[in-house]
Amino acid sequence: MIEAQNLTRRYGDFTAVHDISFSLAEGEIVGILGPNGAGKTTTIRMITGFLPPTSGRVTVAGKDLVDAPHAARRQLGYLPENVALYNEMRVEEYLAYRARLEGLGRAEARDAIGQAVERCLLSDVRHQIIGTLSKGYRQRVGLATAILHKPSVLVLDEPTVGLDPKQIIAIRELIRELGRERTLLLSTHILPEVELLCNRVMIIDRGRIVAEGSPESLRETQVGNPAVRLLLKDAPEGAGEALGTLPGAVSARPGASEGSWIVEHERATDLREAVFRAAVERGWVLLEMTRERASLEDIFVRLTTSDAAAAPADERPADASPADERPADEGTADETPGGETGGSAPSAARDDNDADEKEVVS
Amino acid sequence: MKAIWATFSRELRAYFFSPLAYIVLFFFLVINGIVFAIIVTSLNDPRSPAGPPLELFFGGTFLFWLVLLFITPILTMRLISEELRSGSVEVLMTAPITEGQVVAGKFLAVLTFYAFLWAPTLAYAGIVAYNSKVDWGPVVSGYLGILIIGALLLAIGTFASAVTKSQLVAAMITVAILIPLFLFGLLESMFDGEVAKQVISYLSLANQMDELAKGIVDTRRLVLCASVSWFFLFLASRALEDKKWR
Repeated sequence: MIEAQNLTRRYGDFTAVHDISFSLAEGEIVGILGPNGAGKTTTIRMITGFLPPTSGRVTVAGKDLVDAPHAARRQLGYLPENVALYNEMRVEEYLAYRARLEGLGRAEARDAIGQAVERCLLSDVRHQIIGTLSKGYRQRVGLATAILHKPSVLVLDEPTVGLDPKQIIAIRELIRELGRERTLLLSTHILPEVELLCNRVMIIDRGRIVAEGSPESLRETQVGNPAVRLLLKDAPEGAGEALGTLPGAVSARPGASEGSWIVEHERATDLREAVFRAAVERGWVLLEMTRERASLEDIFVRLTTSDAAAAPADERPADASPADERPADEGTADETPGGETGGSAPSAARDDNDADEKEVVS
Repeated sequence: MKAIWATFSRELRAYFFSPLAYIVLFFFLVINGIVFAIIVTSLNDPRSPAGPPLELFFGGTFLFWLVLLFITPILTMRLISEELRSGSVEVLMTAPITEGQVVAGKFLAVLTFYAFLWAPTLAYAGIVAYNSKVDWGPVVSGYLGILIIGALLLAIGTFASAVTKSQLVAAMITVAILIPLFLFGLLESMFDGEVAKQVISYLSLANQMDELAKGIVDTRRLVLCASVSWFFLFLASRALEDKKWR
């Protein structure tokens, strides 16, 4: 539905986006991830036709943005990062204005407005003046305008930024629902959002795509060894050495707090039992033990931080997994989900919870 | 056409929803009322030469130009710069509409509001007609002059508004263009050459307004005025397009 070829955008001497190519198939929900200033918004603006690319081309639903701008824009619904509305208008008036701008007929517009209002849960504020609406409602008005003309592609630039947790959940629900029937391109720097919503992720850093794939495949290819994180009472001596030499363990390093350890292990093994037995044997009091699953956050930090030392060591999975070790890992990794190791399904469910917690923080 | 209509009606509505419009309307009518009263009083003085009051009202006094100098930037400064500042230009320009259509819709809206400002002054013609005789031809051409010169000034204001995000800067650019434009006619007396005098007198807005108020409709002047307006609107749409490249 969206085809971007070799997009480059320069502002003076500064190259904001550097030769980016990608495509979105029908019905896909794709997330663009990247730190602030990575070129997300520039990329999105080029796709929506607001910014002409310095070089490269974009087609939307087969229509070239330069050759057939109107036809291409009709296929596109766009929610920009800062939803700017006309504050003196009422919600319904504004939607009517947008419908006219999109070239909808009178009856058509009435239906479209009714549907958009209903879907975006705006019926309470239909007749309210836009200037008096809260940020969440404004965002929904923005979304309503984006879907008003029933575009086949929806482009959302940081749709949940600046909303309270409850509003975030509502907007996400809406996005997920909208994504069922259209192609959706979503930019965000809230990582759990991507994991929750997207089939595919593109990570952009300094104007280039540094990684692309489904959240799961990114996890598999980009992350080193799994790890177990534990907390021992009174920080017993020699624990690091003992943990590091457990069968299957690769390394053990101290965590952030006193007595906490992060033990990396090979993919094929589950180290938890061994850790437990080691603790019992040596008389350690085990206060906490969790499996560390690499989140997109880790991948993101690893890919977008030029100076690796700048990232807090605790947050990062070990960088130390040598590239030549990886094929072997992947071969054995296949067994893991089916094995007694705990299964991927429950941990995926737990991930959702994690994600919800994190979003409140971010 | 639909896109122009959509922008036009939204923009016009925005004028009537803002308190500024009513403040402008109020002062505009007060000042014009005073001007008209002064003209009528002085013409009623038996010592003054006889003359048609409406002819003097249309550009006969410097107050006419002063009023235009103030209301033009006030009406136009918001037009496009506000969209640039708030960022609503982003959703506007990703809709199926061209820069030219945006400029056209907005310009027509401000021109309509400007015409609305002048509409109550028709009452002056009515007052004169009630008390004495009115030659309607010059009245019609006088209003034509107000409209066509207004269009030129508003086009300049629209252009200034498309250049910058700041309403204040837009207003200052407008005034900076309008003042030399108004004063241009005064240069006539500074030149000796016949040709130079003729060119300046032909280009002078004040002369144009005088002629129209007397009922002389010179199509060359109208065409010139209209094409300069069109030129500024073209520049405005170019300026809006140019914003994308930075």
